[in-house]
Amino acid sequence: MKSKLITLLLLAALVFGAGAQAKEIRVLVANHPYGDLLKQYIPEYEKATGVKVNVESLQESQLTTKLTTEFATNSSSADVFMTRPLQEGKMFYKNGWYEPLTSYDFSDYPESAMGVARFGNKPYLVPLVTEWQVLYYRKDLFKKAGLSVPRTFAELEAAAKALDSTDISGFASRGKGAAAVTQLSSYVYNYGGKYLDKGVAVFDSKEALDAIRFYGKLLALYGPTGVTSMSWENIMPLFQAGKVAMWTDASVFFGQIVDPAKSQVTAADVGIANLPAGPKASNPFFVVSWGMAVARQSKNKAQAMDFIKWATSADLAKKALGGASIPMSRNSAWADPAVVAKANPELVASQAFAAKNGNPFDRPYMSAVGNARDLIGEVIIESINTAGTSQKLADLAKQKVKQVNELLEDTGEYGMY
Amino acid sequence: MRTSATKRILFFLLMLCIAVPVLFPFLWMLSSSFKTQVDIVAWPPRIIFSPIIDNYIRVFAEQNFLRYFKNSLIVGLCAVGFSLLLGLPAAYSIARFKQKKLSVFILVARLMPGISFLMPWYIIFSRLRLMDSYVALILSHMLIALPIVVWIMSSYFESIPLEMEESAMVDGATRQKAFLSIILPIATPGIVTSITLSFIFSWNNFMFSQVLSMEKTKTLPIAVYNFVSYAEVDWGAVMAAAVAIMTPAIILTMIFQKYVVKGLTMGAVKG
Repeated sequence: MKSKLITLLLLAALVFGAGAQAKEIRVLVANHPYGDLLKQYIPEYEKATGVKVNVESLQESQLTTKLTTEFATNSSSADVFMTRPLQEGKMFYKNGWYEPLTSYDFSDYPESAMGVARFGNKPYLVPLVTEWQVLYYRKDLFKKAGLSVPRTFAELEAAAKALDSTDISGFASRGKGAAAVTQLSSYVYNYGGKYLDKGVAVFDSKEALDAIRFYGKLLALYGPTGVTSMSWENIMPLFQAGKVAMWTDASVFFGQIVDPAKSQVTAADVGIANLPAGPKASNPFFVVSWGMAVARQSKNKAQAMDFIKWATSADLAKKALGGASIPMSRNSAWADPAVVAKANPELVASQAFAAKNGNPFDRPYMSAVGNARDLIGEVIIESINTAGTSQKLADLAKQKVKQVNELLEDTGEYGMY
Repeated sequence: MRTSATKRILFFLLMLCIAVPVLFPFLWMLSSSFKTQVDIVAWPPRIIFSPIIDNYIRVFAEQNFLRYFKNSLIVGLCAVGFSLLLGLPAAYSIARFKQKKLSVFILVARLMPGISFLMPWYIIFSRLRLMDSYVALILSHMLIALPIVVWIMSSYFESIPLEMEESAMVDGATRQKAFLSIILPIATPGIVTSITLSFIFSWNNFMFSQVLSMEKTKTLPIAVYNFVSYAEVDWGAVMAAAVAIMTPAIILTMIFQKYVVKGLTMGAVKG
């Protein structure tokens, strides 16, 4: 009897002892160049710390589905994960899925990036990767037409008109409703408008409507056929095939359009410039597309904190920017001349401009962002279909504003910011 | 003579009308899987190009797709196998004892959107520590396979004359014995049909595996997304993976095609 008890106690001690020592964390990353970079360096981290890191890599919408299911059922085993602040940040925070990162040193991050990392007065996620809106253009076509790179929207329209031919579209940008919302945002800002102002939808203002009309007109007159069903997946191949003269989209695509293995256009013929200025301003979006967070439900918070500090370190950020051209959020990465020297100078210049003048949101920043994007998308499509001349546009926008405001009220975000 | 020639030409044209739209995406996929990214996005599309096998190398060597094949195969075969084990007797009982309510109940389980099962399953499987296990995936895929088996087989069993088993029972066989050695062999075409259909549905299922599997038990439809990353799609590899995934399903269908058609019509007419 006694010996049995001792065996049992010993066994229990063994199990618990092993439990305390089993240093293992589960990390979910997106199919993203930075996720690939992490996977490459994680063995070094494991060696140095003795913590075993189980990495799962998922496509971004699968990642969101998976995290949402795990957290909502309160049965997640995730410790650290990559997250999209503008798309899911607010919802994750409101549901209490992010662990506050009070012991993390955020002094190396631009203030605009911290705007989406902080809720209340506590930071909840580490900004990882940024992107900003740029104008990609074909240097050879501009040279042939004797044009210079447009600096204003008026010049942009003139250039689009001059470069447009039966074979080549003068101008392209996303036209597919919800997907176009992010790319339209900079146009709205440059016209002096906004999607949301202090937690209230205002994209039916004159400024915003002017921007939507201008965007619709450019795409209808000089855009590729079928542009209302095109997102970046459709426009990038056209640009790579040499069928587009100018394309406004996020800076993240630069690498792929100058890669000879992917593009028919010679790299030397591809230029990257700041988005032209609008009548009121020049504030392209400059957003944190990816961040990293610790799960509130994590059972290994100490290890998770240690991991996230390593995974978002300045050292790795420099390796990512210098080695893999990933536009990192950390200031120190962009301040290091040895790192920046490896990047394309035009890209670096556009980053500097956007970091200084950029708007930290490229979409209505709210929990129900998906629904709101669908609603705004309808206004964009109407504008493109009528080349910006629609009589109904103002009424349509007013109606959608009302619906977006209802969404904001549903989640208690109306008038809050 | 003339008319029959015209008829044949017309028939051929009609065939072409149907075959071209059906086969076009498939051919596009097949040709793209041998193209470079530049050739894939080229406009106008390149009919003549120098084929490469790099896409397949990325799929099988770099991503180790054979592992995902193994996962899909284990899940599909086990789910179908267990579904037959439970579904065949159930279908027989429904057919012979007119348990219509039961069959409707099973159909309802199939008609409910799969996503409504996912949350409860996730809670149960994670509490049981069955996440990322074959058990969880096989059980979930039985939701796909079992109703197919029951529905095809119950109408199939109904079409088999009652006299067959009655005469066996007169000769002293039990009902179980009659079921096993008389009814099941007669029902082979129906069984093959239900195996083929339920296996293909399990093979293609995305939703259940997406949530219930992780790295170890990832199935093929999920693994295709390994080639879709943020702001970048590796079309060549996606196409190559799609070809690889479709091939077993196509072979299976071709082998069992005549059974499938026969089995389906048997059920349909007599059901």
